[in-house]
Amino acid sequence: MAEDELVFDLPVELDHVQDFARAVGEDNPVFFNAEVAEQHGFPNVVAPPTFTTTQILQVPREQRERQLGANLDYGRVLHGEQEFLYKRLPVAGETLKGRMRISKDFTKDGKRGGSMRFVTYESVFTDEAGDEVLTALYTLIETAKDVG
Amino acid sequence: MSEVQRVSLDAITPGMQLGQMVYGPMQRKDFKAYADASGDDNPIHQDDEYAKNTGAPSVFAMGMLPAGYLAHALSDWFGGPQHLRRFKVRFTTRSWPDDEIVCEGRVTSIEGKLVRVEVEARRRGEGPPELNLEHEQLALSGEADIELPA
Repeated sequence: MAEDELVFDLPVELDHVQDFARAVGEDNPVFFNAEVAEQHGFPNVVAPPTFTTTQILQVPREQRERQLGANLDYGRVLHGEQEFLYKRLPVAGETLKGRMRISKDFTKDGKRGGSMRFVTYESVFTDEAGDEVLTALYTLIETAKDVG
Repeated sequence: MSEVQRVSLDAITPGMQLGQMVYGPMQRKDFKAYADASGDDNPIHQDDEYAKNTGAPSVFAMGMLPAGYLAHALSDWFGGPQHLRRFKVRFTTRSWPDDEIVCEGRVTSIEGKLVRVEVEARRRGEGPPELNLEHEQLALSGEADIELPA
């Protein structure tokens, strides 16, 4: 039976932040060097804006499907949209609490016939004090069976 | 090297174009590095045989890689990542090994301290010969809100 919400921890580890920053071609020292980050008012090295997509390491697709039960056919699924709403960026050394739910699930007619289903997974991340850090909206599109 | 620097609100005007930033050309090793760092280990981005079995001519980039480049460009345009309040992208077409990713942005409006920006990333390159792609195509488009100090 599917649940409404899936709760998980997202550790923001220094090595991981640096590896992720390197992988998206970052060269700004605020993502690598704690001293520089501190000079700019951060408590530690900052995680790049798209870092929380690493939530897939904490919540693999199979677990997400099992617990939230969108029942998608991943042979026909595309990553359609991604949105982030920030209060602040995560910093190395903290562990965020993520709460994931399906915030949208609707079907509309495709341009080439057949219908497309849009499913949005919303993850709200809070810090150890319970304050909101950011919200990530991950939208998948399930294309029609006979199209593409 | 990009540095954090102060960009103030009075330096920004609606309609302003943000300087083009070009990343890549992306290589298969960049897809692997992103897969390792992000946890997106879908073999369609790393294993050519697997990709071919799904009907693609070769591996292609995970959409969040050019999205990450676009976030990088936003951070550099506005004096660091800390001013970002919203970032949204829609994925339009796939990008391929040896593609460059060309990022551009334009200020659409200023509302209080919030600068609203339209952004896009285009893939630029030959692409797989079988697909006969245009040299440059929209890979993703989106919007961002940046809160700047007055």
